[in-house]
This record gives sequence, structure tokens and C-alpha cells, in this order.
Amino acid sequence: MTTIERVELDQVPLLARPYFADGDPGPIVRALAQVPELLTVALPFIGAALAPSAIGFRAKEIVIVRTSALAGCRFCVETHAVVALDAGLSPAHVAALRTPGPVPDGLFGDPAEEALLGWVDVVGGGGPVSDEERAAILRHWDHHEIVELTTVVGATLMLNRFATALALPTSPDALERLEKEGLR
Amino acid sequence: MSVETPERPIARAVAEGRMPGRVWMYANYHCNIQCTYCLTESGPKVTQRALSPETMIAVGEQAKELGFTDLGVTGGETFLMPHMPDTLARLADELPVVALTNGTLFSRRLLEKVEPLAERDVALQISLDRPDADVNDEMRAPDNFRKVVAAVPALVERGITVRIATTVESIEDNELDRLCALHRDLGVPDSEHIIRPIVRRGRADTENLGVTAVQSDLPAELTITDDGAFWGPFGPTVHDDRLDTDLLVTRTTLPLETPARALLGLLEGRPDGDDSALNIR
Repeated sequence: MTTIERVELDQVPLLARPYFADGDPGPIVRALAQVPELLTVALPFIGAALAPSAIGFRAKEIVIVRTSALAGCRFCVETHAVVALDAGLSPAHVAALRTPGPVPDGLFGDPAEEALLGWVDVVGGGGPVSDEERAAILRHWDHHEIVELTTVVGATLMLNRFATALALPTSPDALERLEKEGLR
Repeated sequence: MSVETPERPIARAVAEGRMPGRVWMYANYHCNIQCTYCLTESGPKVTQRALSPETMIAVGEQAKELGFTDLGVTGGETFLMPHMPDTLARLADELPVVALTNGTLFSRRLLEKVEPLAERDVALQISLDRPDADVNDEMRAPDNFRKVVAAVPALVERGITVRIATTVESIEDNELDRLCALHRDLGVPDSEHIIRPIVRRGRADTENLGVTAVQSDLPAELTITDDGAFWGPFGPTVHDDRLDTDLLVTRTTLPLETPARALLGLLEGRPDGDDSALNIR
């Protein structure tokens, strides 16, 4: 398979070194480190967008896994399926998020999470967003939360295309965990 | 009433000695010879990875605007690039220039082309490692010594400033005395002779030669290549045909302010006293 190089651990550029201080930071950082001046601005943004913030860990992982599934990104789905389990989602939740299309009735049980899933499907699926769809999400989430959740969808889509185009490999640990949870 | 001047962080850092004043350019990576200790694994068959003359001149112009004080041009063998005499003359319109060369290509025709450099602030730095041809050529190339001792006086006669760079693992006093006598005979004074260690990067690493140098041992002279900007001219080395990126600063080279500011940021983050003790230059 043709692959795009990621920096080796003994070849980390100077500006990228802080991101490698605790060892191998994973394939996204190792790929971005090829262009250190891009890494140093991209990672703070990605961190702010995807890490827990005013929006909780679980909600963000719902967005990330669902968006990645819609975009068909194997790396992001596999990697974040594990993170989603750590965020308190069950294997059944994760399996449903990974499968584009309607989620089984009552599986999430929380109207806010169900509205969020609908919003992700609309935003992540491309095309126009209707007034009714904006009204539906606004019934459960505040304006600033919608701004942030929509940014998470956008940031995830960027990484989906990046990881897919560069054929980033999923870590063996993540694959082992998915196997154990019956998600492979 | 004082007049506020625009902030020029690079110029101020250079003036205050917090940042080296020289900007280097790797004009190319290919070479007509293949030295045992070459940092960049240069040789006749490697990819050129050349900077265009337009890029080199832009670097020179922007270096001056930012407040750098000197330019350096290295390679590869710089005079394999046909534009080099003209480009050096143009760069010297901006700042003083030192250009590194192995000194083996100075035919009568090339000597004529470089003659105008005598009127400019350009020095040619030529490698000469040993006073004996056989020992010198063993590390460099067959006939290297003969060509250098012919080229140096021919350049000096034309009024061109010549420096001699001696790159060695070690040298005996007696051998050094004879080498210095030789460069004086060729018309190069002691003030234009530098001696430096082999740095264990590139082919020197493959050959198990030289001193191991880390970032803080190497001068932080901003170095522009076709592959990006680096922490000094010892940064963009090639090992096993692959570019080393451990001393890469940015892939962006122009505007020069982008890598210059990034390098300054790295220097400002360096602990006090954390600088070179290996006389690498």
C-alpha cells in the first residue's frame, strides 16, 4: 500500500517536540508534524474542538463517532469508538452510532441526545439545513452549545478526510478493545 | 518627544546578540565529488533540490529587511549552478556573503565569471583539510588537493577574498603548521583560516566519523533549503538518502519572517547558558 510518511520518533522537528514529550502521540500528530508550523496551530484548535469543554465528554463522542461513520472514516470510527466507550456509551450505543441510518427507538432514551443525533446527521450528511431542523435542535440545546457542537462536526469531518486520505492506521490497542467489546 | 519606531524583533535580537545574524541558503545538494564526511550525502548522482536564483535573491532581500547582517551560500557544490556568479553578486548588493565551494571547478572560464566578485563583499570559502595531497584526497576526492592549490591563488590574484576551511577529526601540530604555511603561500592569511570538527551527521554518521552534536551544540543560523527552514546549516542533513527533519523549523521559507520568527521563538525558549561548546561553525 502507498502511504504518506509520518515523522519517525528520532526525526521530530523542533516546534513539534512538545507534542512528543510523552512518547508517540499517534498517527495524526506524527503526520501533521511533517509541517511543524501547521501542527502548532492545528492541534490547539483540534484539542479545543474535540476535547471535553462546556459540552460534556459523552455528547462530544456521540458527535465524533456519528460524523466519522457518515464520512466513512475507518480510522476515526475505530479510534473514537473506544473513546466513546470510555465516555460512558454502551457497546450498543456505539454500534448504533457506527451504522448510518435510523437509531433504534428508545436506545438513547434522552431527548437531547436524540435531537443531537438528528442534528449531526443533517450537518454531517451535507446539503442544506432547514429551519425546522434548526428549531428541533434549539428545543434541547442552547445557542452557544449548537455553535460548539456544529464546530465539532466540522473539525471531525476535516480529520475524517485527513485520516482517510493518508490511510492512518488504527492502534492495535484500540482494535483489541473493540474485539473484546464485540465491536469488530 | 521621542519617536516610536516600529517593532523589529528579529533586528533587535540580532543586534543584541540573541540571534545569529547570518542566514544560510542551500543552493543545491548535488556535487561533483563525494566526501567521506559530507553532511548531506552529496555526490554526482543525488537529486539537485536546488533553490532558484529568484528565491535566493528574495531570501537575501528579506533577510536585510528583517535585520539580519550576513548571508551564507552552501551546497552541494555551489558552482555547479551556472547562475551562481551572478546570484552571488546580486546577493552582495544586500548583505555581505560567504559562499562555500570545494574549489575544484575553477576553470579559466569560471574564473572570468567570478572576477566581478572582487568588487563585492563576497568571500569564497574553500575546503582544504590536509597539507599532503594523498591524505587530503583520501577524505575528499582524487585530485582535489591539486585543483584547490591551483584555484586559490588564481582567485586571490583576481582580488577575490578566499577563506580556507579545514574540517578534521583531529590534526597534529606539525601537520597543522604545514597546512598554515601552505595557505599563507597560496595568499590566504591566518585570519581567513577556520578549523572545525567533523559533525556526525549524514555520511559522516554512516562512516562513523566526527563529534555527536545536539541542537544546542549547533549555531542557530537560519538556514533555507528547498525542503524548508532549519536550525543552522548543520540541520538539513541527509542520511541513507532521506532528509533529516530533527532540526527542521518550518516548511515555509518565504516570507522569511515566518521561519525567522519561529527560530527566534525557539531561541527565546532555550535555557540560559545552553549554547555550543564544540566550536562548530
